[in-house]
Amino acid sequence: MELDTSSQPELEELERLAGAELVVGVLGAGAAEEAADSAAMVREGLAGLSKIPRAVLISNNGAHRPAPATPAVPDADQPLAVLSFGLPAPGPADTLQQTRSTAYRRVFTVGGKLGVRACGVIASQPHAATPQWIYRIVQPVIDLGFDLVAPRYTRHKMEGLLNRSVLAPLHRALYGEQLQNPMGPDFGLSGKLLRQVLKEASVPRRRDQNDLMATIASTASRAGFQVCESHLGVLVQQPTDWTNLSSLLAEVLGPVFLELERQAVFWQSVRGSKPVPKFGSPEVVSDDAATLDVRRMIESFHLGIQNLQDVWRLVLPPATLFELVKLSRLPREQFRMPDDLWVRIVYDFALGHRLRTISRDHLLRSITPLYLGWIASYAQEMEKAGAAEVEARIELLARAYEANKSYLVSRWRWPDRFNP
Amino acid sequence: MWDQVGQALNHSMTRMLSQVASLLPGVIALIAALLVSALVAWVLAAILRRSLTSFGFDQRVAQWGFPGLAEWSPLKSPTRLVTRAIGWAVMLVGFLIGLSAFDGPLTSELVVRLLTYLPNVVAAVVVLAAGSLIARFLARSVLIGAVNMNLQYAWLLSAGVKWLVNVLAVAMALEHLAIGGDIIRLAFGILFGGIVLALALAVGLGSKELVSRSLDREVHKTSSQKMQEPVGHL
Repeated sequence: MELDTSSQPELEELERLAGAELVVGVLGAGAAEEAADSAAMVREGLAGLSKIPRAVLISNNGAHRPAPATPAVPDADQPLAVLSFGLPAPGPADTLQQTRSTAYRRVFTVGGKLGVRACGVIASQPHAATPQWIYRIVQPVIDLGFDLVAPRYTRHKMEGLLNRSVLAPLHRALYGEQLQNPMGPDFGLSGKLLRQVLKEASVPRRRDQNDLMATIASTASRAGFQVCESHLGVLVQQPTDWTNLSSLLAEVLGPVFLELERQAVFWQSVRGSKPVPKFGSPEVVSDDAATLDVRRMIESFHLGIQNLQDVWRLVLPPATLFELVKLSRLPREQFRMPDDLWVRIVYDFALGHRLRTISRDHLLRSITPLYLGWIASYAQEMEKAGAAEVEARIELLARAYEANKSYLVSRWRWPDRFNP
Repeated sequence: MWDQVGQALNHSMTRMLSQVASLLPGVIALIAALLVSALVAWVLAAILRRSLTSFGFDQRVAQWGFPGLAEWSPLKSPTRLVTRAIGWAVMLVGFLIGLSAFDGPLTSELVVRLLTYLPNVVAAVVVLAAGSLIARFLARSVLIGAVNMNLQYAWLLSAGVKWLVNVLAVAMALEHLAIGGDIIRLAFGILFGGIVLALALAVGLGSKELVSRSLDREVHKTSSQKMQEPVGHL
């Protein structure tokens, strides 16, 4: 991957640095004051480390410019060099995921140029991040020798649903590591892992794909890097844009399914899963009393059953379609999507994505009514559940993913012959 | 007198027989051309069938978005449809070659006309195939998008778009084939206008639902927030 997005002054700054031990990316929307706040936060966060490393901060310096970097001159009392670099401006049509992915590439590329020993990225909510977040993301890498620090967040039961229903259990079943957030977006990485990710991302056929965040955890698992998790605290959710839910699903699941295809040789040999070491302690949030009105979601599911069966038929086997039709006939109060059914749907869509049975964009968008059906089922089941019950429920789903992995392997190997 | 009648009959018989005899090489050439083309068609169809079967053509046709083609095919196999079409095309070429062997002005003109018409047929087939492909793709896009927007008229919108593109493709194909002339243009105008009107009505009705829903959200913002706020996806 080339450092083609850097301006000349920034490149000169990098050369002048002559190497650094740590690169930290704070990927906020950007304003001059925020950049200054980020620098202060990073300084404070790194102060807790056993040995303070020479660090480079990459954050939006307010202008999204190719413009001179703003070096904070290190003084005798503060042996910490924090340089603030601009991030490229998001394009008018860029989504949050694309913007994050571009910023990630920038941070990793700078890290690769400098030959850093560690890298930390705060991308989820830079405004709410604290020095403690920086410390928890980079400390296990710098002081304890881990290669990947994945985040653990405290969340309400109705938050992070795509992560709970697909990303985390799919990662666990495929790659054998129990991570709460395999796609971050906040990560700590060792220099070795960073270079490995960069190396794999520089393969020409993958260069244009915005899938860097989807590759980090899977690359670490496949290459045998040391993985751990850090409790970062409460993650405030992004407001849900219901009109663009299908775009979000396509944007997130597309890279995940691509990565699944790329790592197929590896995950077919993985059996079971193991927990990873965890650092820090979880925060406690009070359970929200607001109940979710699932009526519209179930309506959406029914509309999908009425209209999208011809599309789903190209991806899902007849038995699954039959189960879905049966589910659509249940009264609203009894609407529950069995875990096995949901897991097989996800696996079949991953296979359909690989086989290009239909246009990939159509495929990924057509999962929306099924996903809403899963949310409705989960919401009804967890309406009065506490945090522990929710965890237990998600654990059950994750086990269903593991139990049905043989189904995915069979269909993956013999897509035409194996059709239950 | 009887001698003269006999001579006249003899002459006409001789003329007719000589004309038939002059046709014979052409007839034999036609039969030979048909036999050779049948043999070539059979060999070509066999090779093609084997290649398409090993390629999994029947399944791929369904995957490419033409599952309906199987219904139109002999024995529900698109492979057979393609091989038969190729076979009959070879037979047709053989027939034309045989026909041109008669060397008459009428047959030559017929052959020339058929051959000059052939590019139009090919262009029409290409237009129809492309139209069908585009129609299916757009119809599916509209269907998925409309379902995800929770529009009850999703299927109607999708079918409207599909027929709109199909009608356009058929009209263009007929134009290429020079069939129908003004009647086709008129019929196309009426059909196209009808479909556009139906779509406008469907969109209008769908939008009504959307607008009322969004107004609902504005008016009952607090209850709507209750529904929306607790859910996050990433």
